[in-house]
Amino acid sequence: MSPIASSWAAEVAAVFVKEWRCEFRTRYALNTLALFAFTTLVVTSVSLGPMGIAKAQGSAVLPVLLWLILLFSVAAGLPRAFVQEEESQTATALRLAATPSALFCGKLLYCLTLVMALELLVTPVFLTLMSLGVESPGLLAAVLAAGGYGLAVGSTLVAAIIAQARTKGTLFSVLSFPVLLPLLLLVVELTRTAVAGGIGDMGSTAGVVLPQLLLYDASVSVAGLMLFPVVWNP
Amino acid sequence: MPPPLDTRLSFENLRRRFGRLSVLEGVSGEVGPGELLLVTGPNGSGKSTLLRCLAGLLAPDRGTIQYREDDRVLETDERRRRVGYVAPDLALYSELTAAENLEFFARLRRTGPEWGLEVLRRLELPTDRMAGALSSGMRQRLRWGWAMLHRPRLLLLDEPFQNLDAPGEAATRGLLYEHLDQGGLAVVANPSSLEIERVTHRIELGR
Repeated sequence: MSPIASSWAAEVAAVFVKEWRCEFRTRYALNTLALFAFTTLVVTSVSLGPMGIAKAQGSAVLPVLLWLILLFSVAAGLPRAFVQEEESQTATALRLAATPSALFCGKLLYCLTLVMALELLVTPVFLTLMSLGVESPGLLAAVLAAGGYGLAVGSTLVAAIIAQARTKGTLFSVLSFPVLLPLLLLVVELTRTAVAGGIGDMGSTAGVVLPQLLLYDASVSVAGLMLFPVVWNP
Repeated sequence: MPPPLDTRLSFENLRRRFGRLSVLEGVSGEVGPGELLLVTGPNGSGKSTLLRCLAGLLAPDRGTIQYREDDRVLETDERRRRVGYVAPDLALYSELTAAENLEFFARLRRTGPEWGLEVLRRLELPTDRMAGALSSGMRQRLRWGWAMLHRPRLLLLDEPFQNLDAPGEAATRGLLYEHLDQGGLAVVANPSSLEIERVTHRIELGR
């Protein structure tokens, strides 16, 4: 690795380590995400538990609920990534010291690990509580990985854009809608396929939609890296 | 730090407005090696805005800023990462200790934390204390340590002695004069000119 690339990677690692160190000492995002996920899981299982929904309907409806729980848990915790920097006035020090692309990637890596941890926590509990069988676990794992990355990169980008605005909460919802809607449609479709089984028509659905999901992830990543220096610096 | 003989900051005809409010209008100045430019004026006269423009944290609406190091004019992005900046609205991470803050920013600045920690030692700041638990005077000392971390040639200091007690002020003045003796540049914004010595250039805003 060239010295420039290794210095850049060291910057990314420094931001990532700093984010987790601050998070472990305040537990703001961890608590928010865990509390939201726990509450929605309990409400869902009590209202629509194994006895409350027919199996045929379950494979169509429950994937939607799973991703809604993940989306709103993420929306409750992740916008803080950049908002916190502005509110606590540490953004000035970061602007003067960090390479914008390294800062974006460090924050993204932090959000990604948080989303992955959330998925690891929520998905098995959700599947168990709902007695939802998965015919293609490999496809589900791929969807959770690619969908989780999409959620993390989309949320990081939107959080960076709204950080300097006055009405951050409203703006996050307004901007998240066009950024995250295509992602949600894709991951819900793929999760249904994973639940029903990756054979016949379903297999071809996965073959078409999974590349679209990967394309979405790549597009938002490139857009984030290009837009971030513009929205971050004056 | 190499002798910064070819370092120069100049700015011309700067204008900055916030909506209809004109904060800076036609401000020009220049500072070279070993020189101190003092910017004075009442509250709201645009001293902090001028320093934020010079640091690259705010884009002026009109006018030019040219910062030259070793016969090379630096772009705004590069200038932003080279300057040492102390200001009341600059905060470090309250969840990290003073030493952890400097180590983090040293990694971002691609340098070691040694000089910053040495500055904190000279300023008698306990490095193992959480930044959030520091008094306002101690936080100002930490800002100085943070600003000096990468041995910048240009220091931009907005009310640099604010909240400091007498020993703290003496120690930070010592750092500033040492910086000038080594050929560094400094732009200092202060409401009053009485506290600052060794001024070579002066701008009075809001008149």
